[in-house]
Order: sequence, then C-alpha cells, then structure tokens
Amino acid sequence: MSVETFKPYFPWITLVALVLIVGAINPAFFNLGSMVTLVADIVPLFIMALGMTFAIYIGGIDLSVQQVANLVTVVATVYLAQFGIFVAVICVLCGFVVGAVSGWITTKQFVPSFVSTLATGFIALSGARYLSGERALSMSAEARDASFGWMFGNTAGVPHELVIAGVLLAIAWFLQTRTTFGRALKAVGAGELAAVSSGLNVDRIKILAFALSGLFAAIAGLMFSVKLSGGDANLANGFLILAIVAVLVGGTPLTGGVGGVMNTLVGTLIVVVIRTAMVYLQVDATMQQMVFGVILIVAIALTIDRSKMGTVK
Amino acid sequence: MAIAGTSDARRSLGFLSRDTLVKWAPLLVLLVLIAFFAVMEPRFLSIRNFARILIAATPALMIAVGVTFIIIMGSIDLSMEGTVSVCAVIFAFCFIWLGGTLASWAWLALPFALLVGAVLGFVNGLIHVKLKIPSFMASLAMGFVGTGLAMVMTGGDRIRIEDEAFRALLTVRWFNFPIMVYVAGLFLLIAWFIQTRTTLGRNFYAVGGGEALAHGSGLNVDRVRIMGFTLAGVFFAVGALLAVGRIGIAETATGNNFMFLSITAVVVGGTALWGGIGGVWNTLVGVLIVFVIGNGMVVIGLPGYIQDGVLGLLVILAVILSTDRKSISFVK
Repeated sequence: MSVETFKPYFPWITLVALVLIVGAINPAFFNLGSMVTLVADIVPLFIMALGMTFAIYIGGIDLSVQQVANLVTVVATVYLAQFGIFVAVICVLCGFVVGAVSGWITTKQFVPSFVSTLATGFIALSGARYLSGERALSMSAEARDASFGWMFGNTAGVPHELVIAGVLLAIAWFLQTRTTFGRALKAVGAGELAAVSSGLNVDRIKILAFALSGLFAAIAGLMFSVKLSGGDANLANGFLILAIVAVLVGGTPLTGGVGGVMNTLVGTLIVVVIRTAMVYLQVDATMQQMVFGVILIVAIALTIDRSKMGTVK
Repeated sequence: MAIAGTSDARRSLGFLSRDTLVKWAPLLVLLVLIAFFAVMEPRFLSIRNFARILIAATPALMIAVGVTFIIIMGSIDLSMEGTVSVCAVIFAFCFIWLGGTLASWAWLALPFALLVGAVLGFVNGLIHVKLKIPSFMASLAMGFVGTGLAMVMTGGDRIRIEDEAFRALLTVRWFNFPIMVYVAGLFLLIAWFIQTRTTLGRNFYAVGGGEALAHGSGLNVDRVRIMGFTLAGVFFAVGALLAVGRIGIAETATGNNFMFLSITAVVVGGTALWGGIGGVWNTLVGVLIVFVIGNGMVVIGLPGYIQDGVLGLLVILAVILSTDRKSISFVK
C-alpha cells in the first residue's frame, strides 16, 4: 500500500473531504432533499463538462461549448412550436455539426483547437444572434410542457434531470471504456504519433471527439433552454470556464490520455460543493470569486496525478 | 497544446521560398485586410481611423506581448483578466490616495502598479512551477483570485480617474496619435529588446524549443519560467494602466475579455501555441489583424450579428495561412 495505489482516487478523496469539512462546520449541508436539488441544478453544466472531457481526453480543448449551448437555446425556442419534441434532433445535430467542423479545422487545417473552437464558437454566436434577432425569446408554456415537461418531473423522489444525467454518463462511460472508439481516444491522447503509426485513423477519431463534445453541449443547451423556458444568444454565458474547471479538477489533464468521464463527474461535484459551501459558510458575496480561486488551486494541487506527466507546461 | 513534428532542414533558397512566405504571411494578411477594407470604404484609410484602431488596440497589445513570452515557452497564461483588474484598481486607489494628480507624489502609483503586476505574475509562476500545476490551470485559478481580489477591493464600485495630466495619455496627441500609442510603442521596443538582446529572452526560446534539452544543457528551467510569468505580469500591468488611461475608469470589469482576445491575437500573429516560434513583432501584427478586422467590419457597416462569425472565419483563415503545414505532423 503506497501513495501510488491511492493516486487515482485523489479526486474522490478530495470530494469526500470537502463534503465532510463543510458538513462539520454547518450540518444543514447534509440535508438530503436540498442536496438532490443542488445536484439536479447543475445537470446542464455536468453534461457540458462530460462532452468537454472527450476533447480534453485527446489532448485538445473545446472552447465553443458555451456558444453551441447559446445557439441551441435559440434554435430550441424558435422551432419548438413547429417541430415539437423533434426540435431536440435539430439541436443535437447543430451541436454535432459545429463540433465536427471544429474537429475538421483542427485536424485537416492544423489550427490548434484552442483557436479553432474559439472561432467556431464565434460563428455559432453569430448564428444565435441572427436567429434570435438579438432579443431574448421565450417558449410558449403549453408547447414546452407538451414536449419537454417530462424532463422536470420526479419518480420516487428522483428528479428526471438526474436520470438524464445518469443515462448520458453511462453512455459516455460505455463509449470510453467498452468500445474500440474509446480505446482509440486513449491512444490518441497518450501519444498521437504512436496512434498514427499503429494504423488508427486518428483524424477521424479526433473529429468525432470534437463532434461528441458539441453534441453534449447541445444537449446541455437544450436542457437549459427548457428549464428557463426561453433562449437568447447569451443565456449560457459563464458555463465555459466552469466546464473546463470541472474536467480539470476531476483529474483529466490537458495533455490527454488520462482521466475520463468518471473523473468529470467528481470534478463537477467538487466545483458545485465549493460553490455551495461558500453560501452555507456565509462567505461574503464579494469574496466568493477569490475564495473559489484559492480553493481551486489547493484542490488541483491535491488532485492531479503528476506521475503520468513528463514536463509540466 | 500542439506538438511540432520532425522539421527537417528543408531550407530552400530563393526570395519566395515557402519559409519566407510562411514567415511573412501574418503581415501579408494584415495588408490584404487593410487593402480590402480601404476598397470597400475609403474612409477606413484616414489617419483618424488608424488612430482609433491603435487607441483600441494598445491595452490589448501590451497584454498580448506579455503572454507572448509565456507562449514562446510553450506554456499559457490565462490570469490576465484578474491581473489587469487588480493592477487597475490598486493603481486607482493609490493614485487618488497620494493626491490624485500626476503633478504630485501620485506618480508613484504608476511604478507601484507595475510592481503589483510583477508580484501577481511571480506568485502565478511560483504556483505553476513549485506545485507542478500545469500553467493553464494555475493561471486560470490565479485569474479567479485576481478578479475576486479586485471585487473585494472595490466592492463592485467604479473608480474614476479624472486627473488631466494622466488622461493626457488619451487626450494629448502628437502627430495625430495620442500619447498612449507612443507609450505602448516604447514598451513594445523594451519587449523586443528583452526577447532578442537578453539571456532571459533567449532562454524563453530554449525552454519552448525543447525543455528537456534546455534542462540538460544546464539551464535552470524553473527559474526561467517564474521570471517569464513575472515579466508577463509587468506587461499586464502596463496594459491595465493604458486601459484605465483610455476610459478613465478602474473597476473589476477592466480586465474583461482580454483573455481570449490576447491569445487569439498572439496565435494569429504566427506565434505557435506549442512554443519556440514567434515573438513580439508577430504579436503586434496579430493584434493589429484582430483590431483591423473589428474596426473594418464596423466601418463598412456589416450588421452586428454577423461580425462575430466573420471574425471567427478570418481568424481561422489567418492561422491557416501562417502555419507551416509541412513542418508539423499534427496539432492538438
């Protein structure tokens, strides 16, 4: 039993420790009902982070997710009346296409994903602003409830949002660990040149990874839109950085090849616990951002597994 | 975030070799853009409009120059929004506390702001190097701390700087351009001097070109990294001062939007995210490209909602043109 054995579990240990510390200071934190609501509230963020995991897992990054979600909130709101529940298909396609285009620009045109996804994000933003006519739109309540009312129900006290998150997590986990595509992702993340040499179609795998990231971002945007019953070109702003932080804190490093979707689950929970804890511990509103940053540094310092990184860039 | 592959010594001679083209591509892109907007709308070419572009671009230029050093090392610094806000706010408080006009001891607030930038950058570098946290995460978290710190200090208020001597940065013009443009030019020359004429500047390239090699040849890589982040912090502070000089207000939001803007500009200028290539002149060209696009779209009257998308497309195009595709095997 050495430190090495525990390393993969550091994110989990950090999470449990955080929860225990917060609970010890303010026992009200352990209220099961409020905890469930808390977790249900962050489902869109979690789904976005889940998609981002694929982009980061192969050593890239996807900065377009927030704008994809923005675009989707507008698309969903505009076309809900016309297509009903099938608007979901259009939304998911939108995300998939934007992601695939980012992937194509990155792999075929040699534009680093940091820039290519930022740029496709701008294009998506343009689309959202055009389609929304630069106004905040809202859905008609009946159409929304008829098509997506089921999203916010409860079964035996379990919010359906959590079920959706669980199903998506299961799919992502299955893709990552039980399919050749998942193994190929790991190969690309761990060493792209070696992956090319062993005959993998690396370009296709990378494009697909970015497309998946866009797809999940679209689902997140759709849920967000239905939740707030509307859409506008800035609705999902602020999600991008949190999604990246959730992935990184979970222990998937930017270099790729390590970590994965389960890590993102832990990472998202860590981010949420930190954010909520500040409310429970009555940290002054102006102080919260700073405290968040400091705790983040500590959490990352404790969490990341440095043994698989060579030089730290 | 990308890996350079085998770059053979395929240096072909001749005036218009591919190497030369790739090297000058960003400048060509800039000239083509200027020519395009000038044809679409002749008013674009006026001195008045160029002054407008430069005034808008100077704070971002300083910040982009700062992060250029970091990117040359193959790292990244995302702390600029926080650092800029903190420097701006601390500067404003000191300036007002010391008398509120440059004619008094309040000028001390200027070097003090640079010192604050250096300290923030130093802490950033220390966290990155000593705790072995990748710079992306370390600097992102430091950015949160910075923005938060500015928030705590101001309580969300705006601080106005109305001293005429300080606002002369914007209001007094020499040869049609305000003083802040010359100040930025001076700091650009300093950055160029550091890059080409000092050991530290050469060491940035050594670290970016191959860290293991640099380490093997006896270079104290950790020290170079920390100094790089400190230097970047100083340039962020200069950017903060110019930003305050431009609008006369210091607040938590002073640093907003600089993060993606400056990194985009650096990459568009031809500095590679994987390190070792590029420099401050590339960054100047990159910043100008981004701001010429932004200004040009307004001048020729493109509808607002298209502008983001066109900027995105042109950025992709500029990067594609200035990338030497044959010397890299893949990017991430």
